[in-house]
Amino acid sequence: MRSKLLTLVTFALLLSSLSACHGILDELYDKPSDEVTLKEGQLYVDASSWTDWYYIDLADAKKGFVREEIPQEGDQQSMNPPSSKAEGLYTYWYDVFGEGLSKHEFRCFTPTEKQPEPESWHIAVHRNNVRTNGGAVYETSYTSINDLPESSEAFADATFTEDEWNELDVWTVQAQMLQGLIGNQGIKINPVLSSWLKVSLPPVPPVFTLNNHVFIVRFEDDTYAALQLENYQNTAGVKCHLIINYKYPY
Amino acid sequence: MTIIKLKTKSEKLKVRVTTIRMASNFYFSLLVFSFSLLCNAQKNDSTFYLNDVVVTGTRTPKLLKDTPIQTRLITSADIEKVDATNAEDLLQQEMPGVEFSYAMNQLKHMNLCGFGGQGILFLVDGERLAGETMDDVDFTRLNMANVERIEIVKGAASALYGSNAGGGVINIITKEGTEPWTLNLNGRLARHNERRYGASYGVNGTHLKNMLNVNHTSIDNFDVDNAPNPATQVVATVYGDRTWNIKDRLTFIPNDRLRIIGRAGYFYREQTRTADTPERYRDFSAGLRGLWNITSNDNLELSYSFDQYDKSDYHKITHMDVRDYRNVQNIFKGLFNHYWQTGNILTVGADFMHDYLMNKNLGSRTESQNTFDAFAQYDWLINTQWEMVGAVRYDYFSDCKDSQFTPKLSVRYQPISNLNLRFGYGMGFRAPALKEKYYNFDAAGIWIIRGNPDLKAELSHNFNASADYTNGHYNFTIAAYYNDVQNKLATGVPHYLPGDDKQLYLDYTNLAGYSVYGGDATVQARWDNGFSARLSYAYTNERLPKDKSGNTINNQYIPARHHSLTARIDWDKQFTKNYGLRLSLNGRFLSDVKNVEFIDYYDISKGTSTIHYPAYTYWKFSAVQHIGKAFKVTTALDNLFNYKPKYHYYNSPLTDGINLMVGLSADIDKLF
Repeated sequence: MRSKLLTLVTFALLLSSLSACHGILDELYDKPSDEVTLKEGQLYVDASSWTDWYYIDLADAKKGFVREEIPQEGDQQSMNPPSSKAEGLYTYWYDVFGEGLSKHEFRCFTPTEKQPEPESWHIAVHRNNVRTNGGAVYETSYTSINDLPESSEAFADATFTEDEWNELDVWTVQAQMLQGLIGNQGIKINPVLSSWLKVSLPPVPPVFTLNNHVFIVRFEDDTYAALQLENYQNTAGVKCHLIINYKYPY
Repeated sequence: MTIIKLKTKSEKLKVRVTTIRMASNFYFSLLVFSFSLLCNAQKNDSTFYLNDVVVTGTRTPKLLKDTPIQTRLITSADIEKVDATNAEDLLQQEMPGVEFSYAMNQLKHMNLCGFGGQGILFLVDGERLAGETMDDVDFTRLNMANVERIEIVKGAASALYGSNAGGGVINIITKEGTEPWTLNLNGRLARHNERRYGASYGVNGTHLKNMLNVNHTSIDNFDVDNAPNPATQVVATVYGDRTWNIKDRLTFIPNDRLRIIGRAGYFYREQTRTADTPERYRDFSAGLRGLWNITSNDNLELSYSFDQYDKSDYHKITHMDVRDYRNVQNIFKGLFNHYWQTGNILTVGADFMHDYLMNKNLGSRTESQNTFDAFAQYDWLINTQWEMVGAVRYDYFSDCKDSQFTPKLSVRYQPISNLNLRFGYGMGFRAPALKEKYYNFDAAGIWIIRGNPDLKAELSHNFNASADYTNGHYNFTIAAYYNDVQNKLATGVPHYLPGDDKQLYLDYTNLAGYSVYGGDATVQARWDNGFSARLSYAYTNERLPKDKSGNTINNQYIPARHHSLTARIDWDKQFTKNYGLRLSLNGRFLSDVKNVEFIDYYDISKGTSTIHYPAYTYWKFSAVQHIGKAFKVTTALDNLFNYKPKYHYYNSPLTDGINLMVGLSADIDKLF
């Protein structure tokens, strides 16, 4: 009986494969889709571009975002770092195949125009980097916005971190990454909020790690927002397609 | 069976004729035949498996000592001694001249005597494998559980096997049960949470046989240390994986002239490079084979094989499993053998393959082509000393309507009974793969890799000579080869398009001619006191190709090392009826190697620099205790001398030191 059953199963499998020129068991897989279905309190930004910032006005988040290109043109390339924190492109060599991003050396600087910004915005995203419009950020241990205390006053005594100058993380020019050379925009970003998506090198290609904690942002006008990165890939696996959970005002 | 006493020429001929008659039963006869021969053969032959039957060199059963094509045989006993999990573990430890290195993303690449990737044809029970990554098959599919033997034929074998056999053929042949029923359960634990579990269940009736194998492996990711300032790319995190491999083979024997074999298999592997998006690899395989002994001198084999290899990314956050690659091969085969009483054999065959490729890197999403071939081989036993085998083959590829004619000639001369001299010439070829014609994708932002629909087939001319000699407790083998390779298929020199100096392109192309030559020597011994030993050395000179304008190309892979050596010494003793012990020490030595690499991939005008990859040696000690009839406890120290590479370059062993492995195997059927 057992042998007959095995015979039947084996030959059934064989017969099913005979007509399978293009393969079998498609139903094991999900179909990638360009459509993004958002829930209430979510926004979606395709921030995969290396050369753009996307500005979001949380008061009007459903309207979408404003894209602003990162200025890259500059006439005077210098092999020495500027004496002060000047806006422009900073090219660094990173030990991408050895000790990683923590080991780096300055290579050259090209001053550029100031980063353009829209009139009204709360946060801006560029791949895994986030800026705030004069805000400061605190990382909670919560992993759901729904679980937060009712009011942001619960975080009144927390230590918030303002945006800080950075010329190492806003990777803008990747053309020579295999040589360890990456061109970065010199600009203020928020290190705490940017930690919602960590990029590690090595290996090549880089590894992305999502931090699903909820972040509290305090803005200049003393309003608060709660933000959480829900996902950073689209269904085709392209990184930095961000789905952000938000609550504003909080 | 009333043979074998190989003392006179007439007796030898009698053996051959008997052998050939037996061969008409083809696979069924293999086990019975080799077992019987082993029981009766001279000690020398049984010691070194010279009376084992091999099939890969000629596609007909031949005794190892008589095959006109030099064949390296790795037996199940060898696999047990190395305690190998998969083909990588086994081959790099058993064969000098074999090296597994890595490409970007830690994808494995094998180099066998200067050929790699699609230049070496892997077969499982004679069937091709679908799917590739960076030109290589998925080596983790080649699980060593339930493997009867592995036959390795170096040198061009395209006249019998078609495309991809320019550098040789590695044929993995699985076990078939001989007992009424068998049940084996086994497991092994090691560092980094490495686990290996296996189960095999076999039933063996008069008309039906079945063998079911289930194997599971897993190992965690782990970090390795590198000194500052590596000369080139290094590995910092070694990616583990999790695999499942399930195979079932059902054999139906309605009468003594007909045998029908059905098989089905499922393979699954998951590897986590990015925590939220583990990569998944699946393979579905099935086959049906009929073996018909038409007469005592004629047999016919018809088969159908299906193999589907998928790759997907599992998005943990959205719980979506998105497929981005599929290769499906549907293959129909026919093979006819006619045996003359004189020992001569005519083999004719034809194959049809439908090859389907889906990949996100293909502009039009899918490509497919049909391949048809026909071949003939005549094995001429001229006399008791001389044997000559000639083969010709014609292949046709529907994509671009390309065709290829491939010849092969091999000669064996046996001046004395324990000495064989072999000479051969073979043409090898590799048709351009669909990916090499039609891929178009951004490789991690470095460059755009572009397919080339105008690619020609890669051709190679292989000349080889070998000698093997057995005397008493010793066996010696020496071999040399030369390959002239034309139109090698590879990516060429990175370049910019006119008017665009920002985006680099890397195109598939046919490279200029180059050569690969080398040789190997093996001495093995087995003494009456339980000791046995094997020492093998290989020399490989792989002259790296340039493009047809004389430019140095971007070599995707580190070339073969000039010198390599493998060694093994075993001591085997049965202390009591219920307790036996085998100690094995095996190791390998690989010389340093230099590779010319671009100083700046984005500005090739800066020229090249020579990167030095250091030599290393790697050893493993294992103790196997046989307890009663049913149990076997294996304790092994892998990386015995705690070798830790200063830099984990892409051709270094990915290890962080000595590794204790403990395994248990139980033959449940032997308890009853």
